[in-house]
Amino acid sequence: MSQYKTQSHKIGIYLWIWALLFVFSFFSYMVDYLNFEGTLRWTLILAFMVSKAALIVAVFMHLFWERYAIVNVLLWPMTLMLLFVGIMAADSEYTLLTRLFYFAAGS
Amino acid sequence: MNRALGKLPKGWGGLTHDWGSDQRVFKGIPWNKAMMWIFLLSDTFIFMCALISYMTVRASTAASWPDASVVFELEIFGTSVPLLLIAIMTFVLISSSGTMAIAVKYGYEKNRKLCTIFLLLTAVCGATFVGMQAFEWTKLILHEGVRPWGNPFGAEQFGAFFFMITGFHGTHVTIGVIFLLIMAKKTWQGDFDTGRKGFFTSVTSNYRAIEIMGLYWHFVDLVWVFIFAFFYLW
Amino acid sequence: MSDEHDYKIEAKAYTTSSSGAAASSDERPDEQELYHSKSWWTTYVFSQDAKYIGVQYLCASTAIAVLALVLSVLMRVQLAYPDLNVLSPSAYYQAITMHGMIMVIFFLTALFLGGFGNLLIPLMCGARDMVFPFVNMLSFWIFLLSLLVLVASYFVPGGPTGAGWTLYPPQSITAGTPGNLWGLVLMLVSIVLFVVGFTMGGLNYVITVLQARTRGMTLMRLPLSVWGIFVATIIALLAFPALLVAGLMLLLDTVLGTSFYMPAIIAVSNFGKEVTTDGGSPILFQHLFWFFGHPEVYIVALPAFGIVSDLISVHARKNIFGYRMMVWAIVAIAALSFIVWAHHMFVAGMNPWFGFFFAITTLLIAIPTGIKMYNWVLTLWRGDIHFTVPMLFTLGFFITFLNGGLTGMFMGNVGTDIALSDTYFVVAHFHFTIGIAPVLVVFGALYHWFPLMTGRMLNEGLGKLHFWITFIGAYAIYFPMHYQGLQGVPRRYYEMYDSIYASSTGLNEFITIVTIVVAVSQLIFFYNVINSAIRGEKSKRNPWKANSLEWQTPTMPPKHGNWNKLPVVYRWPYDFSVPGADKDYIPQNVPPSQVRRAKVEKT
Repeated sequence: MSQYKTQSHKIGIYLWIWALLFVFSFFSYMVDYLNFEGTLRWTLILAFMVSKAALIVAVFMHLFWERYAIVNVLLWPMTLMLLFVGIMAADSEYTLLTRLFYFAAGS
Repeated sequence: MNRALGKLPKGWGGLTHDWGSDQRVFKGIPWNKAMMWIFLLSDTFIFMCALISYMTVRASTAASWPDASVVFELEIFGTSVPLLLIAIMTFVLISSSGTMAIAVKYGYEKNRKLCTIFLLLTAVCGATFVGMQAFEWTKLILHEGVRPWGNPFGAEQFGAFFFMITGFHGTHVTIGVIFLLIMAKKTWQGDFDTGRKGFFTSVTSNYRAIEIMGLYWHFVDLVWVFIFAFFYLW
Repeated sequence: MSDEHDYKIEAKAYTTSSSGAAASSDERPDEQELYHSKSWWTTYVFSQDAKYIGVQYLCASTAIAVLALVLSVLMRVQLAYPDLNVLSPSAYYQAITMHGMIMVIFFLTALFLGGFGNLLIPLMCGARDMVFPFVNMLSFWIFLLSLLVLVASYFVPGGPTGAGWTLYPPQSITAGTPGNLWGLVLMLVSIVLFVVGFTMGGLNYVITVLQARTRGMTLMRLPLSVWGIFVATIIALLAFPALLVAGLMLLLDTVLGTSFYMPAIIAVSNFGKEVTTDGGSPILFQHLFWFFGHPEVYIVALPAFGIVSDLISVHARKNIFGYRMMVWAIVAIAALSFIVWAHHMFVAGMNPWFGFFFAITTLLIAIPTGIKMYNWVLTLWRGDIHFTVPMLFTLGFFITFLNGGLTGMFMGNVGTDIALSDTYFVVAHFHFTIGIAPVLVVFGALYHWFPLMTGRMLNEGLGKLHFWITFIGAYAIYFPMHYQGLQGVPRRYYEMYDSIYASSTGLNEFITIVTIVVAVSQLIFFYNVINSAIRGEKSKRNPWKANSLEWQTPTMPPKHGNWNKLPVVYRWPYDFSVPGADKDYIPQNVPPSQVRRAKVEKT
C-alpha cells in the first residue's frame, strides 16, 4: 500500500546510523579508558550522549521525517526536565554545603 | 495518504495548520502510534526523575562515590579491562536497535519471513542484554558484597541507585522482549496480512504494530544511552 | 476556514477530507473500530464503552470519598471534644493521611479525569468511543485494585500510615509514626497501581481529543469542559512520573533499608533488619513529591474550571466571554504549574535563593487564573440567568474559589509564608480551592449531566436544599480556619489543649457541629440520585437546551456508538442568545443553511 512508502527507507541509512552509533559509543568508552578528567570529560561524555540520542530519535524513531506538530509536542517538555536538573543541581550543592559546614569539623 | 500528506503546509506553518485543523492534529499518524509516543514521553519523565535523583544524592552526600570503571571492570586474559561488560552490553543493545529498525522496514514491505527473523534477532539481543545485566548483578551481589543498603566501595547509595535504575531498565527490556516474541509469532502466523483481531484487545492487526513496537524498543535503547553516560562513565 | 467551506462540508458526505491525511479507510472518523460486547459480563462489568466506564469511575471514587468524609467527621469530633478520645493520636494521624490521600488522588483526580473524562470526551468530540477501549477498561480495574490495596492498609499490623498525605521521610519510615511498616508499603503500592492505571486511561483521553474528533471539530470549537480535562490529563501524564519515582524510592527505603532519603540518624529497624543509614537527602523527596504535587492540584482544578465555563454558558444562556483567552489561560496555568512547586518548601531548608524564583512564578500563575475569573463574571453580565441547581453550584464555586485563590497569594510570598506555614491558614486555603470549590462543581456537573446518563431529571427541590446546606455549611466550616491560622494554630495537631490560642480553639466546636450537619446532608444528594434514577421525572431530549454534541445524540442516554451517523460540526458550542435567531441556542451540528434571520459569527 502506498501509505507505507514514507515509512520504508533503503536499508543503507539504517546501517550507516548503526555504524555511527558504534563509533560514538566507542569514543565515549575511550573517554573513560583514557582517563580524561574534569570539564573536558564531562563535555565529551555529554556531547557523545546527546549525539547518540539524537540519532536514535531522529532516524530509528523516524522523528526527522514526521511533521512539526508531533516533534514539538515531544521535545519541548524536555526543557522542563532541564530546568529540574538545574534546580536540583543547585539544591544538592546547597545541601552538601550545609552538611560540610555544620557536620564536618569535630562531629 | 502520501499525496494528501504531501499537500499539507510544511514546517512552522504546518505546525499552526495542524493544530488549527479539525479531526486530528497529528496528520498521518494513527492513534496507536500517537499513544505510544505520549506513553514514551511519560516514561522518559520517569527515567529522568530517577537519574535526577541519582545526581542529587550523589552531589549532596559527603561520602565518596565509588569509581564505576573500577567497580565494573572485568578480568579477561589476566588483565583488568574497565567497563568491558558494559561496553559489550551497549554493543548488543545498539545492534538490537538496528535489527529492530530493519524489522520495521521489512514489515512495511510485507516481507513476512524477513520481518519475523529480524524481530527474533532483536529479541535475542534483548534477552542477551538482560542475561548480561543479571550476570553483573550476580557478580556484584555474590562476589563483591554490594547491597542496596551498603557496599564496600563507598557511598551506600551507589548500590541502591545501581539496582533501582538498572532494575527498572532491565524490567522494561524484559517486557519488550516478551512483546517482541508475541509480535514475531503474530507476524509468522500472518496475522498482519490477514488483519486478524487480537485475542485480548479485539483490534484489527496491522503491520503498523511493528513500527509501534519499534518505537518502544528504540526508547529502551535511548534510556540505556543515558544510563551508560550518567551512571557508568561520569 | 470560510463560510463557503462549511457549506461544502454540509453538502458532501465524508468522502473528502478538509484537513488532509485521512484517505486511508481505517482512519476516517466514522470508521473507528468499535468493540461490540457479546455477554452481560463484557457489557456491564468489563465494559469497554467509555460511558459505562465513566459511571464505574464515578461510583468507585464516590464510594471511597464517603470513607474519607467519615474520617474527616471523626477528626473534627476529636478536635472539638478531645475528652471523648474518639481518636488516639496515632489514629488521628492515620485519619488525616488517609483522608488527604483519598480525597486528592483517589476521589477528585479519578472522578474528574476518569469519571467525567470518559463520560464527556468521546461525546463532546463527536467520537463513538475512546481510541483504545480495551486499555480504557483495564484502567478502571487497575484503579479499583489500587482502592482495594489502599483499604487493605486498615487490616495490616500497625494500620494505615499516619505520615500525612505528603509522606515525608525520614519520619514516615522511622518508628513513632503510625503505620510506618506495612501501612506505608501498602499506601505506596496503591499509589503505584493508581499511576499505572491512570496512565492507561490518560493516554486514551489525550489521544481521543487529539486524533478522534469529528469533521469540523477543531480544537478551538471544543467545549471548555473538554479543554479542562484534556489539559489536566496532559499535566498528569507529565507529573505522575515524579510521584512514581518518589514513591518507589520511599518503598525501597522502607523495605530494603536503602538510604535514598535517609540521612545519618539513629538506626532504623524496619522489617526486622537493623540498618544504619547515611548520606540520603530528605529534601529530595520533597522536591520530587511537590514536582508532582503542585501540578496535581491543577489536575483537580482545571477540569472544574472547564466544566464551570460550560455550566455557566448553558444556564445563563450566554456565550462564554473570551473563549480563546479561556483556552490560553488553561494552557498557561498548566505550563506555569510545573515551575511553582517549591512554594510548598519555603520553610523546608532548601537553597534560600529559590524563594525568589518560586515566589515570582507563584504570583504569576494568579494572572491567567484571574483572567478566567473575570471572564466568568463577564459571561454572567447581562445574561439570562436561570437559577437552576447547576447554576447555583457554579455561583458557589466562584465565591469559594475566589476566596481560596486570594489566600493563596499570602502564602505565595516567602515572608508571609514563614508565619503561615503549617498553620490552619494553609488548611483553609487548600480546602477552599480544592476541597469546596471543585466539589461544588462536581455536584453541579452531576445535576447537569444526570439526564444524559439516565434519561431522568434529579429532583430540583432536594437539589436546592442540598446546595444551600452544603455551600453555607462549607463556608462556615472553613472560613473560621483562616482566623485560627492567623493566630498561629498549628495544623495536624490531634488536640489543641488549653492553649494560648483560646479564642481560636473555641471555634472548633462550632466547626465540628457544622461539619456533622453538612456531612449528614450529603445523604439528601444520595437519596436524590437513587430515587430519581429509579422513578425520577423523565427528561426531554436536551433538557437544558445546550449546544454541545453530547446532547445531540439520537437517543438519551446515548446508545453504544453514540450516533448513527457521526455529526458534523459547524460552530463553537457557545452560540446562545444570538440576536435574531428563532431559538436562544444553536447546537454545534446545526448547518449554516438552517440558521435563518441571524448573523452568526464565524467560530
